Amino acid sequence: MTSRRPNAIARLLLARLHLDRDDMLRTAVVLALSAVIAFAVYPLGEVASALVFVLGITVAGALSGLASALIAALAAFLIYNFYLTEPALTFRIATGGDLAPLIVFNLCALVSGVLAGQLKDHAQAARSSNLQLHSLLALSRQLQSAIRLPDVVATVERAVHDILGAGAALFRFEGGELRSLAPALAEADWRAFAERIAAKAVPQGEGTLLGRLLKPANAPDAVLVIEPLRPGKITPAFIDAVANLVTLALERAALSEQITERQAVARAEQLKTALLASVSHDFRTPLTAISASASSLIAYGERFDPETSAGLLRGIVEECERLNRYTANLLEMSRLEAGGIAQPLQILGAAEMAAAALHRVRPRAGGRQMSLQAPAPDLLVAANAALFELVLINILDNAILYSDDDARVEIAITAEQGACRIDIADSGQGIPEAALRRVFERFYRAGRSEAAGRGNGLGLAIAKGFVEALGGTIEATLPGLDGRGTRITIRLPLAEAAQA
Amino acid sequence: MTNILLVDDEPALIAVLKPVLGAEGYSVATASGGAAALRMAEDIKPEVVLLDLGLPDIDGKDVIRALRATSAVPIIVISARHQEGEKIAALDNGADDYVNKPFEIGELMARIRAAIRRSSSLENAPSTYRSGPLEIDFQTRRVSLAGDTVKLSPKEYDLLRTLALSAGQVVTHKRLLAVGWGSDGADSQYLRVYIGLLRQKIEEDPSDPRLLVTEPGVGYRLASAN
Repeated sequence: MTSRRPNAIARLLLARLHLDRDDMLRTAVVLALSAVIAFAVYPLGEVASALVFVLGITVAGALSGLASALIAALAAFLIYNFYLTEPALTFRIATGGDLAPLIVFNLCALVSGVLAGQLKDHAQAARSSNLQLHSLLALSRQLQSAIRLPDVVATVERAVHDILGAGAALFRFEGGELRSLAPALAEADWRAFAERIAAKAVPQGEGTLLGRLLKPANAPDAVLVIEPLRPGKITPAFIDAVANLVTLALERAALSEQITERQAVARAEQLKTALLASVSHDFRTPLTAISASASSLIAYGERFDPETSAGLLRGIVEECERLNRYTANLLEMSRLEAGGIAQPLQILGAAEMAAAALHRVRPRAGGRQMSLQAPAPDLLVAANAALFELVLINILDNAILYSDDDARVEIAITAEQGACRIDIADSGQGIPEAALRRVFERFYRAGRSEAAGRGNGLGLAIAKGFVEALGGTIEATLPGLDGRGTRITIRLPLAEAAQA
Repeated sequence: MTNILLVDDEPALIAVLKPVLGAEGYSVATASGGAAALRMAEDIKPEVVLLDLGLPDIDGKDVIRALRATSAVPIIVISARHQEGEKIAALDNGADDYVNKPFEIGELMARIRAAIRRSSSLENAPSTYRSGPLEIDFQTRRVSLAGDTVKLSPKEYDLLRTLALSAGQVVTHKRLLAVGWGSDGADSQYLRVYIGLLRQKIEEDPSDPRLLVTEPGVGYRLASAN
């Protein structure tokens, strides 16, 4: 240990012997000033002048470090010896007293220079660690908002570049092989380096590249590669800290992925349950009516008068139609749910479609007044014909279901800022204000009225899915007609091929 | 003419059942909700109530309880097959029987006839039961199959008697357990064993019972008397 100490001190001193132009300039100025003052105070005695030089050397050391201080000390000694000691204008080192200023000046330079250097180093270190801290904070802040894996990768690249002025890339094990998470950056030598890092073949850096193996708890191992512009400026501890942050971000990304997956599964499960419940509830009633009617006709057919028989047969046909509609609704629901845009799209006349839908629902409309208002020529939209009709029928059925026999139902079609607006309004019971938004949810039935049991809670959900798939909007508002009831407003983009 | 009160919120079902029940000789009144049903039960004093469990306004079980508070009218519940819990709760609350949707009209008519027979037998208890080859004399406790005496243990007889007094109607596990074991919380495994023994003695083919049929998840039903 002791044998090493002189070495250590020598290294310390050597490290302090740094000198640049500014330092020299400052030293020269300080020295010149000291000389001037030393001459000025010379009448007070040699000692006063010597003290002025001591002060100057100290200042030079404090300002510019050890090398400057030593230069200043030598220069000061020469000036002092040449001009200010007897005999003037000669160099003379005759006595020990002549050497004293040289020794004192240099000792003073040494002390002040080393102290100043150390101070500077501390300040530098503080500045640099402050900078690194800020960098880490900035990186952690940016990583915080990166929730999905691609975001994490992009953030690491961008943030490392912005904050450290360095290139960065993330590699990850996928199926036992290390792959770049940002293929654009997958430079071959980076990848090879990442593989060596992963295999622990190289410590933490090689050439200009730095690397860390990341081991997220819930995700495959990854490798972070950083290529700093000035390698010396980045400490290993700092890279470790960055690697920790990235590992945390990877873990969070994996967690959020798992949650998203689980939510998707749960949603699919929910939909399945709801569909099954709908099948068991909504299909059983028409089936019961059909079964009861048909078995009655078999058992009592000859005892019924013709009118009763015809009524039962008509009921069977109607209930079959209802079953058919439910089936179509379920099918379309699962199709829209799967994200299909319900191809094929055709150019359809809105009024024509509305008239067809009116025709289809009229048999079950009872005494309700059903009317259609549309401009001429017809407005054209691009849509799937079967789905468009189903949607209109669903909305009309709702209007019928939730209104009395003497109510009015009106379809109005108007052009509105490049869109085809379809209003379907009724003078029925209306929807409670609080339910206006929810009516478009699957299996939601407004209120618990007699009519609610007869719908299957899919009609408006399908309408919403259909309209939104086509880039349109749908909303429910109050009132409908005559200050009561409901109004459903659909806006669909007008078809480009207006002449089709 | 027998009055039937049909309680259902499904117009389609009412449209079918009303003319058919009429053709069978019943006079039918309808209600589309629980509140209306309770009002009409007061007014027309029906002999049978057909009640759909899924009413829009009042829970079916509460309708049954309210009806039971004032009358012993037979209540037949119309319900979905998978709603065992609902059915059992309805029967526990005083319903007499149920029919699963979708049903054939013959099945519903049989339930209505069994309910009417049972409610009239409450006033003058029948002394015998006879269905196909099976005969029971309640006075002498004699059970015979095609004229031959069948030897039953007392517990077997008690169970069979209970089923026979509600012939054509479902009898819940709970009620049978109470009759046989004095506690409706007893292990229904005992009941299954005893029903198996009874079937050995009265059914032609115990593996394909015709007289004593299982109502899955709810109870057992002995064929209507003929």
